[in-house]
Amino acid sequence: MSTFTIARLVPRMLGLNGSSHNASILASYLKHSGHTIEIVDVDAPEDAPARVDAVCVGSGSASTLRPAATLIIPLVRVLAQWRTHGAHVVAVGTGWDLLGHTVTTPEGEVLPGAGILPSHANHGGTRFSGEVAGVDYQGRASAGYVNQVGHVKLEGGAKPLMEIDAPESGYPREEGLVGDNVFATRVGGPAFALNPHWCEDVASSLLQARGETLQRTEFHSRIDHAAGEARRLIEARLGVARS
Amino acid sequence: MRLFAAFAIAKFLRFLTRLRGGGSAFPGFVLLRLVPDALERAVGSLPRGVIFVTGSNGKSTTTAMLTEILRAHGLRVFSNPAGGNLPQGLASALVGGASLLGRVAADIAVLEVDEAYGPSISDLVAPDWVVITNIQVDQLNRFGEPEAVYRLLLTLGHRATAGVVINGSDPNTTALGAELHATGTRVEQMQVSSAAQATAAHGLVPAPLFFDPTPNLAVAPGVVVSAVRGPQASLDVAGAVWKVTLPQPGLHYAVDAGLAMEMASVVLQDFKPERAVAALELGAGVYGRGEVIRYRGVDISLTMMKNLPSLQVNLDAFPAPLENVFIAVDEGTPDPSWIFDVDTRSLASVSVLSGSKAWQWALLLEHRGIPYGEVIEDSRAGLDAFIKNSPPQGGPLHAIVNYEQMMRIRRIAGYKELEGAR
Repeated sequence: MSTFTIARLVPRMLGLNGSSHNASILASYLKHSGHTIEIVDVDAPEDAPARVDAVCVGSGSASTLRPAATLIIPLVRVLAQWRTHGAHVVAVGTGWDLLGHTVTTPEGEVLPGAGILPSHANHGGTRFSGEVAGVDYQGRASAGYVNQVGHVKLEGGAKPLMEIDAPESGYPREEGLVGDNVFATRVGGPAFALNPHWCEDVASSLLQARGETLQRTEFHSRIDHAAGEARRLIEARLGVARS
Repeated sequence: MRLFAAFAIAKFLRFLTRLRGGGSAFPGFVLLRLVPDALERAVGSLPRGVIFVTGSNGKSTTTAMLTEILRAHGLRVFSNPAGGNLPQGLASALVGGASLLGRVAADIAVLEVDEAYGPSISDLVAPDWVVITNIQVDQLNRFGEPEAVYRLLLTLGHRATAGVVINGSDPNTTALGAELHATGTRVEQMQVSSAAQATAAHGLVPAPLFFDPTPNLAVAPGVVVSAVRGPQASLDVAGAVWKVTLPQPGLHYAVDAGLAMEMASVVLQDFKPERAVAALELGAGVYGRGEVIRYRGVDISLTMMKNLPSLQVNLDAFPAPLENVFIAVDEGTPDPSWIFDVDTRSLASVSVLSGSKAWQWALLLEHRGIPYGEVIEDSRAGLDAFIKNSPPQGGPLHAIVNYEQMMRIRRIAGYKELEGAR
């Protein structure tokens, strides 16, 4: 049994609508496999542990964009150091945008991001707010709620997390980003709650790095069942039911 | 003649909708189609003016409290029932309260107004005063972000012909008040002392907006909520401390009472705090806020979970963790992701989860390690199972429900609908 450290990046600014709770869900997932988890909130370099196993960042609103960017820029070196040691990145919405290369504001100004993730965000478009469902990069049913403005463009070669069924006009079919120890999405709230398979991917990868495997328990089965039922109802509301 | 015909039709429609045992916004919708300026005609020339009450939370209770305080001072008040705060809901209240000639026998109107519709309702009837309760995280699926609510309320505040009363302990409404004040709008404020705020585990739960620089509103507060203890609050008004009995325990009800007192003290030249306290004492209970309904011989207390702050402040106000609760939530809460931000330490166990978003609550409870019983999507079946499974206890059973489920459960229990409700 291992001890894992999960950093939550700037959670008071980037934690809107439950989006910082992928960290606590990942912790819960690992805890029920018998591991010990420490969650550390990091707002400044002096808060940062030398090493973390995962760094989670949530989403924010318009007024958080600049102050959150101001807090994240001094953390770029810390983030790079964590990544060198194999830390996983789990990012949602505005947090993802700020860890990418650039964020274009609604006014057209281009803010530099942390440059950790291969993406460019543009907040200049319209807002999409609604449930989505689709299949992820491993063909698994996935769903959630997206409430984000504008769009994100992935750099060449970067792999989307999921393909959305019947997206609304103007909303991209491809959503999110998945890659080498990277998970990013515009699916808001804690996307891991409705999609425990994503949480399991990250948890398994963290364990694999320690030479361990995930020990599934009744808790994990219950979570899978509840999430499956919740996704079934989302799919039914969207009219994209698979079964 | 057109006005008479329009009100006659709308009143007949109201009669028909009430025959089926409930209220509806439809008569108001029809009235506004027939007479778009019906609101302005009815309340626009009332001698003491029109007050809008708006904000993320507390609108209904503040409206009810202010109405009672004004009535206690001898004023005839026209108001809309809780929740009927969209244009058609306001017009429906008018259908019920106005004569066939579209006139209301009132000195003043106190109207609860939806924050998004505030600017458009102010096109129908201009407010003299606007009371702004707070800006909290609410209906992000609708507003996108709290900043949008700020902008809507700012627009509405600029349209107040006499002034604006704000909650000066909410940093967001303080910023809004400072911006309005800087452009010449009269701004009055009510404040909550730090000690009073500390009585709720999570304080006033304002939306996390970030202002640069930090706003400063150079206006002395008229009313200060200085202490809260259970259902008792101390309100400092003009150097004297008044003890007020709240409709339910909770800091948020003290804020509502403070705002109602502040607004009343500004608008009434002969304001008498003792009359206001007596009016609040009589109780201005609001539909669905701690309301106890009876179903199958069992009392059930309804707690609304409209959004994160409303659920948090209600949970904070319970003296002990709740056991064997009924929770029901449906599509009326399109994105319940915010439930993961709720401090659930006041929730010991859940008996039944119901509604089409029940499984999302189940996921939260699983991750928090809070035991729960059945998940039954149908509300009626869920409610029946809840009653069947609940052991007898001293007080009422507890149900935590979103607005739509509250309406549904009240209907299931045989209660009438709210007039003008959405």
